[in-house]
Amino acid sequence: MKPPRGALLLLGVVLVVFAALYVLPISMTVRESFRVFQPARVGGLAGTWTLANYAVLLQPAYLDYFLDTFRISFIATLVGLVLAYPIAFYVARHRGILRTAWIALLVTMLFLGTLVRAYSIALTLGPAGFLIPIARFLGLPPNGLTLTEMVVIFGLLHMVVPMMALTLIGTIGNINPRLEQAAQSLGAPRWRAFLDITVALSTRGLLSGFLLGYALAISSFVIPLVLGRGFVLFATNLIYVRFQDTANYPGGAAIATVMLVLSFGIVYGLTHLVRRRLETT
Amino acid sequence: MSGTKRVGDAIFGCSFAALLLLTAALLLLPIVMTTIMSFDNRDFLGRFPPPDVSWRWYRAFFGDDYFMTGLRNSLVLSLIAAVIATTAGVAAAVVLDRYEVPAKALISAFLLSPLVVPTVILGFAVLVFASLIGVTNGFTRLIGGHVILVMPYTFRTTLASLVGIRRSLTEAALILGANEKQAFWDITFPLAKTGIVAGLVLGFALSFEEVSLSLFLFDPASYTLPVAILSTMRAQFNLTLASASVVIMVFIILLVVMLERLFGLDKVIGSGLYKS
Repeated sequence: MKPPRGALLLLGVVLVVFAALYVLPISMTVRESFRVFQPARVGGLAGTWTLANYAVLLQPAYLDYFLDTFRISFIATLVGLVLAYPIAFYVARHRGILRTAWIALLVTMLFLGTLVRAYSIALTLGPAGFLIPIARFLGLPPNGLTLTEMVVIFGLLHMVVPMMALTLIGTIGNINPRLEQAAQSLGAPRWRAFLDITVALSTRGLLSGFLLGYALAISSFVIPLVLGRGFVLFATNLIYVRFQDTANYPGGAAIATVMLVLSFGIVYGLTHLVRRRLETT
Repeated sequence: MSGTKRVGDAIFGCSFAALLLLTAALLLLPIVMTTIMSFDNRDFLGRFPPPDVSWRWYRAFFGDDYFMTGLRNSLVLSLIAAVIATTAGVAAAVVLDRYEVPAKALISAFLLSPLVVPTVILGFAVLVFASLIGVTNGFTRLIGGHVILVMPYTFRTTLASLVGIRRSLTEAALILGANEKQAFWDITFPLAKTGIVAGLVLGFALSFEEVSLSLFLFDPASYTLPVAILSTMRAQFNLTLASASVVIMVFIILLVVMLERLFGLDKVIGSGLYKS
């Protein structure tokens, strides 16, 4: 049907408001990242162009924060995928009360909110909780960097597992269960049928689930802020630190721009690339 | 079937079940622990488990002006943001789904794209924008940020609920003499209502618990409950926050139950072709 004029006008208004509140701020932030920073001034110097805000990020001190962000997120997302896949498999292949319970658990955990999540984990794995026994068991100092990193990884896991499990349910649901049954009746042990048929056929879903989880993990803010206790800082935390301590808008804007490019690159670029690669082979 | 195969299959089944159980335990442990600790009767943060139970931390939370002002601000903000985002999301979804609009896929992708922007960066961007155009009122900034945060979700749930409504119903109404407006309010809207309300609930929940966006946009007169909780957490780590967490959790669970009743969680997550 051809749209009446009123409908087009309505859509136009929505798009204009959306652009004003979303595109304009983002493009201004990108523009801001190329401005010269002057202390005690809101926003960089007007009309200036510089790459200095980006050059700073290449210094080892800053680069380390980015590398920490990528490394810790990678571990958490990889472990998360291993934990999420069996849940998705169970939910996709079963009926009944346990399936409903799993879905309810996953959705509630997804909606938990980062703050409640971060606080609960800080309490559970803190000095009042199981920090001392865990530290003793692993033979690590309770306030050391390694243990703090593990707590941050646990926090990220808690966030990405429900999300990845929920996205994988659809993937596994699209694989015909008869294929696995056929493999088993032809003599394959259950674990081989599971790995060679179901897991192999969900490669694409696994990869896009991983990339979505990874994008979510590297852009998380509250979890490293609360659970990292100052030892572990993510790139997103740096934006806040630079803005709060020195009102360095251009500096924060440069980090924000890098993170933005990474997020869009991972979610749109990499996912498409992976998809195309898998379709041609 | 050979004996070794049967044993192997049994081991596989057992380890699979064990892994599921372990994951469930890991996900639930922090929640259960926080809930138990929130009833601790000690006036300091002592080791788990609490020797005695009481409501003292709940009284502390509900008796605290700082938190209660935050709670009020949060409820007002999330309601306004969810209503604006739902109105805009429904308008865009209906026009895009029902009519031939140029560049349909592109507009859809554009309206969904904030999902990919990390919330911290959205918050920072809205702050930079507000500072440059001279908006210093925290509440205005918060509404702007939260509407953008929530709109992709309300847009998506409305689109999903429109898919099931046949266009021929609207056409029939038009042939029978209704105008476009009547056809929408009498036919399409009542049928899409559950999806729209689900979007509203979802938007409210997401806005209510958001903190990394609000952290950049609030001012001392209009801070949200999550901002108050985060500031307190960084200043002193006490159990008032455990009771606050449990209150938020109960609230979120109620909203999830509401979503399930309205929409069905199965529909929210979608299931594949081969249902068992």
